Amino acid sequence: MLEYLWLVPALPLVGFFVLFVTEGKLPDKLVGVIGAGSVGLAALVALGAGAEFVQSGEGSYAQSLWIWMAVGNFTPSITLYLDPLSLVMTGVITGVGFLIHLFATGYMWKDHEEPEGLSRFFAYMNLFVFAMLMLVLGDNLLVLFLGWEGVGLCSYLLIGFYHRDPENGYAARKAFVVTRVGDTLMAIGLFLLFRELGTLDIQTALGDTGQLDPGMATAIGLLLLGGAVGKSAQVPLQTWLPDAMAGPTPVSALIHAATMVTAGVYLIARMKGIYELAPVAQFAVAIVGLVTLLISSFTALTQTDIKRILAYSTMSQIGYMFMALGVGAWSAGIFHLMTHAFFKALLFLASGSVILALHHEQDIHKMGGLWRKLPVPFASMLIGSLALVALPLTSGFYSKDAILLTAWEHDTGRWFWAGGVLAAFMTALYTTRMMVVAFFGETKTEPDDASRINMWGPLVVLCVLSIAGGWMGIGVLDGLLGPLGEFSHTDPVAVTTVALPIFGVLLGWLVFSGRLDLSTLVASSFGDALRRFWQSGWAFDWVYDRLFVKPFLWVARVNKRDIVDLVFRITASVTRGFHHVGALTQTGRLRWYAANMAIGLIVVFLIVASV
Amino acid sequence: MILFVVILALLGAGVVAWASERVLGKDAPRLVSLLAFGAGLVWSAAVWLDGADANGLYAAMDWPWIARFGIHLTLEMDGLSLLMVALTMFLGIVAVVSSWDEIESAQGFFQFNILWVMAGVVGVFTAMDLLLFFFFWEVMLIPMYLLIAIWGHEEKAYASMKFFLFTQISGLLMLFAILALVFVHHGATGEITFSYKALLGAEIDPRIATWLMLGFFVAFATKLPSVPVHTWLPDAHTQAPTAGSVILAGILLKTGAYGIIRFAVPLFPEASADFAVWAMLLGTVSILYGGAMAFSQSDFKRLVAYSSIAHMGFILLGVYAFNELGMQGAIVTMVAHGFSTAALFMMAGAIQQRLHTREMSQMGGLWKHAPRMGTMTLFFVIASVGMPGLGNFVGEFLALLGAFQENWVMAAVATLGIVVAAVYGLYLMQRSFQGTPNPDVASMRDFGLREMSVMAAMMAGLVWVGVYPQHVLELSSATIQTLGVLP
Repeated sequence: MLEYLWLVPALPLVGFFVLFVTEGKLPDKLVGVIGAGSVGLAALVALGAGAEFVQSGEGSYAQSLWIWMAVGNFTPSITLYLDPLSLVMTGVITGVGFLIHLFATGYMWKDHEEPEGLSRFFAYMNLFVFAMLMLVLGDNLLVLFLGWEGVGLCSYLLIGFYHRDPENGYAARKAFVVTRVGDTLMAIGLFLLFRELGTLDIQTALGDTGQLDPGMATAIGLLLLGGAVGKSAQVPLQTWLPDAMAGPTPVSALIHAATMVTAGVYLIARMKGIYELAPVAQFAVAIVGLVTLLISSFTALTQTDIKRILAYSTMSQIGYMFMALGVGAWSAGIFHLMTHAFFKALLFLASGSVILALHHEQDIHKMGGLWRKLPVPFASMLIGSLALVALPLTSGFYSKDAILLTAWEHDTGRWFWAGGVLAAFMTALYTTRMMVVAFFGETKTEPDDASRINMWGPLVVLCVLSIAGGWMGIGVLDGLLGPLGEFSHTDPVAVTTVALPIFGVLLGWLVFSGRLDLSTLVASSFGDALRRFWQSGWAFDWVYDRLFVKPFLWVARVNKRDIVDLVFRITASVTRGFHHVGALTQTGRLRWYAANMAIGLIVVFLIVASV
Repeated sequence: MILFVVILALLGAGVVAWASERVLGKDAPRLVSLLAFGAGLVWSAAVWLDGADANGLYAAMDWPWIARFGIHLTLEMDGLSLLMVALTMFLGIVAVVSSWDEIESAQGFFQFNILWVMAGVVGVFTAMDLLLFFFFWEVMLIPMYLLIAIWGHEEKAYASMKFFLFTQISGLLMLFAILALVFVHHGATGEITFSYKALLGAEIDPRIATWLMLGFFVAFATKLPSVPVHTWLPDAHTQAPTAGSVILAGILLKTGAYGIIRFAVPLFPEASADFAVWAMLLGTVSILYGGAMAFSQSDFKRLVAYSSIAHMGFILLGVYAFNELGMQGAIVTMVAHGFSTAALFMMAGAIQQRLHTREMSQMGGLWKHAPRMGTMTLFFVIASVGMPGLGNFVGEFLALLGAFQENWVMAAVATLGIVVAAVYGLYLMQRSFQGTPNPDVASMRDFGLREMSVMAAMMAGLVWVGVYPQHVLELSSATIQTLGVLP
């Protein structure tokens, strides 16, 4: 099967192509079959190729397709590269991707604006899967960049899928432009890497890092981090992700939770060799992760839109992954990427079922009491939440624990551990709030559940993965990028790490079910200001608006007529002025001409005489 | 010989098209044009498949013209010329199809002008005698002026005059530079010649060389155009009939780029090397300023016009990097931009024909009426935003990569251009096809087979250049080696 590796990205591409060329004229059922089927087939091929790869016992497998462009010594080739890291990513993308596609055949069935909408939706989704696979399978940074930009494009297209609402269009453009700021840094990083090492082949470059000046390695590491920060919605380029929730919920599950937003984590893990040469850059990765996970977990506590809660939660979980890479817990970071893909996809899909049953109600305060009426989504949300909170025995526990306990041992002190544990406590708090407010208490909106097996089937599979993915993953991921680490679960640090989330859940239950009244604290002027500050996402949007958006719009407005043209317009006006003055002298009157001629003669005479 | 025939054939086809309107009726001229460009494209393909001779030439001729002044009818077609000639023929087809039923008056004379512009363009891309080159440079100008002045939109008189003056004045500088170069060469060798090859190695006093180089550069930079001599372009493009805009943006701008690559740099390599940092600066400014200006426009066509200025900035950046990466990037950009921008101008024309406006405030939500047009606009916007896998990315990435090796600060600043491109490109999409459907637009006819086949050809072109640019790179590579300007 390994020689058919190229089929893995090719199948979704073919799916896209068929849907694109047929312009939505295919019957909806066939569209669903092509859309979900192409990804399902890709998952099967990936499974077969992966099994053969693991059996072969080789460290890596490369399949060269063709030289993309050859200019002098710049010859990036389109080569698919399979190693344990890209195998895990491919598994997540095709496996979870297929489940989400299947769910989407139900979710999107009636949920599109145009008759050809379903076809367009699956075309974009398939194109996304293709691009994401190129991102993780590409053996050359330029091919990775192709996937990188491709997923960004599909993210834009799918956030703005309901394009009749201008706000969705705004959210889509914001996502594209903000991530492109990161992409620009990444592109400059590629230019620099090529200048220093003369290649963009990842394996060649990583083999040659010995020739790299440490200062240059730091610069390259930081520039690539810039790209990762944009794509993975980390501080300071995180502002696009909450707005990206404007897209259909399966899109949020696939792109903005399970796969694309983890591309930054993948990039840094892939370029491990560079970061090991550049401790400053690696430390920056950890700091970015820490800051993001703290900021976003506080923000999640104040959101009321269920999807925005999950979006901030995604940001903070990716923050854990960045922190893991930064403190050297490479394998744990990728482990958390995988478990997070399971439970966050589950949470998004389950919330999608809820949202659909409530006719697009997303405010948790308008839900309430749903646990009896929507049992499957509720059970799924619950399991996903348990894993998100990282309660023992769920998948999230294994991966988060590995990150936090490695952070404890990190030589820059315990700050990363402390921040991570605090955020874990906050995670427990906001997750409990979401569950209590949305699913318990009195019913505020009557649900209308119409989900079918293609919707709850994927939920069940993801439930199993969210629980079992942890201990299944340990075997697969230990040694992926170094050892996962052996941790004792009896010393005080480990106990604290486990206990704080549980405490968070209990406290959350007390507060949000009304058993512990904190309303005076929340309503105080300080409490209210703090809540609004958190709710705004720590005012990043406000600052960027004033720093970048408003000045740019101002320049665009005042310079619409192009100030450079003024030079030429003035030249033209002056010329025209002379023309008018000159024309005035042509009166057609003989007397006027005769007088002029006389004056002229006198002037000439005077000049001659005076010389 | 064959090249001469091709140029004469285009000129002749122009006359036939003009005459055919009286003899065969209104529909005949556009068919004549289509046939002429179609034959030209087939011929280019055949020449390409046939391969180059030992000198890397696909066709060549050399006849004395005004022998006592050393002026020859020297036409040669190497890889770069062939690439540009093929693009010219292809865009000729696009131009004719895009104005298929737009022109109501004097269709014969309209097609005559289109064919004559393109004949001039083919001449420009193949002339290897400086006076002959200048002659064709002027041949392009007059019919283009007429296209805007006669069939243009509301401000056609202003726009066509502006176009004419900018091109003519800058062309005059080039003529001075050509004559001065010939005199200097005469002074040194006693031989009067306008032959490109003879003048290529001319030894010139460095101070004089700088001035002569600037004479060429200003003419080409105006045509390209580069900030600050770009302001003719938004007016000319916006006011021209659709076919005129397609030709202007698709191919006429590239004559400027071609001129820099073929003449300005190789004739004065030292002076150009000293000037490189300024040229790169102009390129960088054009990228950012053109992009910002594109964003501030409310006229669909004007926005696309300003975006061309931004894209042409990558050409300056790439060429003056003085390395193969940058040069190849510039050339691929020429081809890819030819496709993407021609398609967007065709779209602008189609919208104007349907809605009688170019103002985007009068559009919005057009996807509802015309999903095909929406999809096509989306595709070409994405291409011009620089999406990997499509041609523009290859060109711009190589240009930036090449420039970075030479001047990393400039390249890094220019890379910001890809953010700006996303800002204006997606905003264009939003205001025209996405958003709430404009209630004033009751319906809009979508693209049919005729438009879609041209669009499909351009899409295929961009994917081809984007995924496997080797064909283009190989054609231009031979030329780049012979120019002898790279280390």
